[in-house]
Amino acid sequence: MSIFITYGALITPLGNTTVENFNRMLKGDSGVSIIKDSGFNNEDWPLGMIKSIQDENRYNKLLSDLCHQLIKEHGKGLFEDEKTLVVVSSTKADINALPNDTFASTRKILNDQLGLKNKIIIISNACISGVLAINTAVDYLHTDKYDNVVVIGIDALSDFIVYGFQSLFALSNEPSKPFDKERKGICIGEAAGCVIVSKKRLNDSYAVNYLGGSSSNDANHISGPSRTGEGLFRSINKTLERSKVGKAEIDFISAHGTGTNYNDEMESIAFDRLGLNEVPLNSLKGYFGHTLGAAGVIEVISSMKMMEHNIVLKSIGFEEQGTSKRINVLKANLEQPTNIILKTASGFGGGNASLILKSVL
Amino acid sequence: MSDLRETLKEQIIEQLNLEDLTPADITNEGPLFGDDGLGLDSIDALEFIVLLESNYNIKIADPSEGKEIFHSVDSLAAYIEKNQ
Amino acid sequence: MKLVASCKISNQGVFLNSKLVPNTKSTETNWKKELYTKTGVTYPKFYKMDALAKLAFLSYSYLDKALKTESYADNDIALLFANAASSKTTDLKYIESYKEKGSPSPSLFVYTLPNILTGELSILNKWYGENVFFIEEKFDPEFYLEQINFYFSKGAKGVLAGWVESNDTNEECFLFFVENNGNELTIEELTNLYKS
Repeated sequence: MSIFITYGALITPLGNTTVENFNRMLKGDSGVSIIKDSGFNNEDWPLGMIKSIQDENRYNKLLSDLCHQLIKEHGKGLFEDEKTLVVVSSTKADINALPNDTFASTRKILNDQLGLKNKIIIISNACISGVLAINTAVDYLHTDKYDNVVVIGIDALSDFIVYGFQSLFALSNEPSKPFDKERKGICIGEAAGCVIVSKKRLNDSYAVNYLGGSSSNDANHISGPSRTGEGLFRSINKTLERSKVGKAEIDFISAHGTGTNYNDEMESIAFDRLGLNEVPLNSLKGYFGHTLGAAGVIEVISSMKMMEHNIVLKSIGFEEQGTSKRINVLKANLEQPTNIILKTASGFGGGNASLILKSVL
Repeated sequence: MSDLRETLKEQIIEQLNLEDLTPADITNEGPLFGDDGLGLDSIDALEFIVLLESNYNIKIADPSEGKEIFHSVDSLAAYIEKNQ
Repeated sequence: MKLVASCKISNQGVFLNSKLVPNTKSTETNWKKELYTKTGVTYPKFYKMDALAKLAFLSYSYLDKALKTESYADNDIALLFANAASSKTTDLKYIESYKEKGSPSPSLFVYTLPNILTGELSILNKWYGENVFFIEEKFDPEFYLEQINFYFSKGAKGVLAGWVESNDTNEECFLFFVENNGNELTIEELTNLYKS
């Protein structure tokens, strides 16, 4: 069975539609900017903040805006269909609701605005949640219950998250530089993205095929990545096997690339072990910041755009190799036939996940 | 002198959220880090830096010295006594 | 799929394959520490774990006695976990650290994600298989069986599944291990196991 993925919607600091976002990405714009007093001691951290959101409850507003955008672009019929399932990926959801249920508003907003008929599936598995959500969507499509799975990835900025990464000394005081020699850490971002995963081509709009995906644990440390990149190495191998794709066929890698010393080094080791050193590669974190539960989904959308236009984007912030293993991090946009993309993600809890997309012929 | 060690054990339990431990469970000379110790790691080392600063007003000049200083309750106590 | 073993723990005791393990019920607030000393396992990392990871670790320590996981390759076992409250208990402690205790605690922050417990189990056993953590409104046996079948269809030989909850009123962990062969484990059987 062929699996198709089409654009759902995309809201990031770079824009409110997929087209708007990609146009700005082509120009090398970044949605990361210095946000005053964002730190625990009132430091000014660079963050990927959606400036148009002024509401106190950023998460609920962002999710609601995404729903509006989805209905605007697709109509309500798809969402109200009995054979449509929704899978959500979020790390902290409506964290401001504590001590009440932080995932209650997710169900309420989606049910109220989209008129859903089925139980909403929610994945909360740190930064690999987005890729896992897409992989899970495909699992569901292999049953007869659903024709379409709407996958939503979303996380909003909060003191909770910013202070936490600050306490780990993981934040960079300048826009992040994934894989670069001078990299200092991550910039947190917020975003909401949606893709529609289907058994049949949904309509005439641009679509890609999903070939395969997998996850694998490092079995090493709960927050630090494996020094040998074991989990990522295994996940990519499994994904290649399931996709029936050879390494030489990969046109581009959309890596995780958070901008920390350890993560980027680990990824370079894993890619090197797989012999993927020459494949054009980027991290999209420089465009949006690290959007946590949204990352996998918005980065898949960005990858689809690259495939649609046969242009792969530079890795913002990268100037000089900063990893022990050489990988081909792009310093400039590159026009090239881009038919097969490998997307990877790694996260706290030792998780690693990957998937492969292919142009529809 | 042993008061400092007992106080330190209480502070370690509090700062590192080791709520199921009592000071009696922590020896003076035993390693705190790694599998031979309390299984503490580099994230927990960050907590020790906070502990020294907020309880003893001691700022560690070079965080990489941390491994030696935080090795055991004895080494931590010695460092505090030296730097107060 | 075949159920190999199950284990449910709470302060009401350890129920291994639905039978109460003697001496495991406790009314103490530190019942988890008491249980740790009774497992006979030495694993110092236990003390720095958060509530969810401790529950999963303790439950697994008992379950392990009824399993033969050495016969599996390190890729073969997948982990499937869920709860309703996410990492609420630790989230609240972490918030307290920066709102009331002076600075955000990194050792608490790293546990403010419900899937960390799957990392702990993977580290403990050196398992490199697939993992996922879901947020569900309540324990739904049909959901678990569905997800387990997904894993089996993708090549997993065994699945360690669990419902691990820590909230204001309740702390519990229900673990079960299934193999991809043999009799069908039914929704009803799974429901009864959870309730016992």
